[in-house]
Amino acid sequence: MRLSPDNWKLAILAGLAVSAAAVIALPASASFWIIGAVAAMIAAAFVVNAYRRKYYGGLLVAPAIAVLFVMNIFPLLWSLGLSFYAYQSNQQSIRFVGLANYIKVLTNDIMAPANWGALVNTAMFVVLTVTAQMVVGFLLAMLFAKQFPLRKYLLILVLTPMMLSVVASGVFFTYYYDPTFGILSYVVNAITGGQFILMSTKVGAVTGIVFADAWMWSPFVMLLVLAGLVSVPKYLYEAAAIDRVSKWRQFWTITFPYIRGLLMLALLFRTIEAFKLADLVILLTKGGNDTMTISYHLIRIANEQNKTSEGAALSYLMLFMVIVLTNLYLYIANRRSQGA
Amino acid sequence: MTVVTKMKGFAAAAGLAATLLTGGASYALAEEVTLTMAVPDWPPTRIMKKFFDEQYKPPSGNKVKLDVDFIPWPDFYTRVNASLTSGEQKYNFIVSDSQWLGAFVEGGYYRKINDLLDADPDFKKTLMSVHPAPLAAYSTYPYKSENYYGFPQFPDVLVTFGRKDILCNEEEQKNFQAKYGKKLPCTGEEIDAMTWDDFKNVGEFFRRKKGEMLAGAPAEDDFYGIAFQAGKGYDFSSMQINGFIWQMGGNIWDETQAPAGQAEGVVNSPQAVAALEKYLSLLEYMPPVAKTGTMDIFKSDELFREGKVAMNIDWIGLGEASLDPKSSKVSDKLVFGQMPGTMVDGKNVKWSNIGGQPFVLTTWTTPEQTKEAVDFVKWWLSDDIQHQFAASGGQSAVKSVYEDPKYVTYRPWNRAWAPQLDWQKDVWHVPQFFELLTQQQDQFDLAITGKQDAKTTLDNIAKFQQDLLKNAGLIQ
Repeated sequence: MRLSPDNWKLAILAGLAVSAAAVIALPASASFWIIGAVAAMIAAAFVVNAYRRKYYGGLLVAPAIAVLFVMNIFPLLWSLGLSFYAYQSNQQSIRFVGLANYIKVLTNDIMAPANWGALVNTAMFVVLTVTAQMVVGFLLAMLFAKQFPLRKYLLILVLTPMMLSVVASGVFFTYYYDPTFGILSYVVNAITGGQFILMSTKVGAVTGIVFADAWMWSPFVMLLVLAGLVSVPKYLYEAAAIDRVSKWRQFWTITFPYIRGLLMLALLFRTIEAFKLADLVILLTKGGNDTMTISYHLIRIANEQNKTSEGAALSYLMLFMVIVLTNLYLYIANRRSQGA
Repeated sequence: MTVVTKMKGFAAAAGLAATLLTGGASYALAEEVTLTMAVPDWPPTRIMKKFFDEQYKPPSGNKVKLDVDFIPWPDFYTRVNASLTSGEQKYNFIVSDSQWLGAFVEGGYYRKINDLLDADPDFKKTLMSVHPAPLAAYSTYPYKSENYYGFPQFPDVLVTFGRKDILCNEEEQKNFQAKYGKKLPCTGEEIDAMTWDDFKNVGEFFRRKKGEMLAGAPAEDDFYGIAFQAGKGYDFSSMQINGFIWQMGGNIWDETQAPAGQAEGVVNSPQAVAALEKYLSLLEYMPPVAKTGTMDIFKSDELFREGKVAMNIDWIGLGEASLDPKSSKVSDKLVFGQMPGTMVDGKNVKWSNIGGQPFVLTTWTTPEQTKEAVDFVKWWLSDDIQHQFAASGGQSAVKSVYEDPKYVTYRPWNRAWAPQLDWQKDVWHVPQFFELLTQQQDQFDLAITGKQDAKTTLDNIAKFQQDLLKNAGLIQ
């Protein structure tokens, strides 16, 4: 193996040896920087190698890959590593514990019930919020696919919630649902003569969160579906009309194939986002009435309680579930599209 | 050139040299020292910064700058926690909730100041002039030990905010007397003497529907007698419930008894269960938002300022807004008194959880900065500055200041301040504070929203605390 600045294989081997020695012999604060320097050396070897081989395409994307590595991949790997240690960000000690954190978050008497409860709630919110958004977004798209007076202005109005900050929406709904100051209780009380408090039960609190989330994100689904709807060639409908095909059949045989891909895309995006639901829960219930989600629970564990490693383990379990679910979904979607 | 001219020239040269020398010497001696401080963004810290910029003259002769980061309250803990744990070592001073002491002392971030106190008798005298209850709460870790860390920035207690126009109304007074055989508390002194039973009576008496008569006129909206914190967020029920528990003879897990002190059997003692039941029994007389678990200190304050309740128990720190006509519909109708108590052997027992915040020094503050910081703290806790602080809306825990007859004239609630200081205790200072608090808040929320009874709630809390603290070695 020749010694040359473009020999990336040698750079990797030397880097691994130096890193291992640094980890064993030096304190963590020093070995961290040595490993960083080694990673930079290996990256430089790749760049020199690519330059000498005139592989300019690779060189052009190298800065983007470097940024992605520093900002995204490295923290991801770092936190994965942390999940195998006993480490709290407000303590100076760190020690390797293998899979203990994973076992703890899933089975420990103190931690596990809250984790499982938050996980079940998250699954519930994923199903409810995504269903609500898909249905409302789809119906809005069907409405706005047609031409009618003031359509342009109404479309802007309907899109507004999506552009608002979640905090602004959360505060708005806090007052909207408030039994003393809120219009919802005011109207219901005026009709029923009783005292209506939406957020006092689990059903009410979940409804409140799902409604607020659907209010914010249904326009996103609508936009995607609308893009599909306007791309359907008009002559297909004209031909169907000549053949006296029913509206129902026109929808399933002409419209739906055009919007299916976009609907699936909306479903994928919204499902991933729904798994991360925390902001609205924090603003509306603080997790009360059994509405704690896994993301909010994670904020409390990793941020408030500084249990960094346990938080990382729980995050990776959640990431694993999201990856499995999205891959399953993509597999099914691909099979369907191939079948069609 | 004449002799006179020569002499003039010599004198001018000598004068110039002397000026340069003395000027140069003074520049060489006066150093510039910057103290960086993380504070929540609200009036008490803004006032501190204003006073510093306008009045502080360092005794060292150095040029001392106080560089303050004003951080919004909702982000405060997150930002401070991130700054400390990331190792950026940005701040020399940090305003800290007293409960965070253990977590950040054990992490090696907050500086113990015993050596500074021992080295400077004036400094020690200044700190020891603070009332023992706030001093123990704001400065000691372990709680009530001899290890000192913090200095009072804004000390605070819970007081009762009342509506004079409603409570002192003749018709209401007459009807209340007829119904309960007692006078409806109306003055500050009468509110001071209230028990939780009296407070409940006020709650029950003033439940009025929109259109029903209230103080001689039809109520414009539904009206309620009482409010206090019953929220799930942060510590927005524990701070109130702890007072009930202590007043009724119960206790929270007592870290001063560690490791012998237990959680099980103490936290869920019959007295503690009765106290929680008492707390829960008052919720039905409050605005309906209390049933949702979102009645935090800001919501009850808002309800009071909007004129929806007759009495509210809240921190003095939120009081300024109720006095301001721009933010309060009741600014000219206010009366203040102590938080209600519990009659024990003929005495009105008023134990309560202390509020407010100390500020602390960090471990990476250099000796030069530390010297200036000590001078600054001595200045901050001096009588004159504490008087000015209190006159501008702050509170002082310095004995000579709050005992001055002038003190009660600064703000209407100040009359309730000094008598309550003896009754203040603090919640845990241990590093496990946040775990203890979040689990307890979750459990209290279940009780507040009617999902489980007081006994189950305290049993769950006691078991959790026993397991957690045993694992941490704080319970044997």
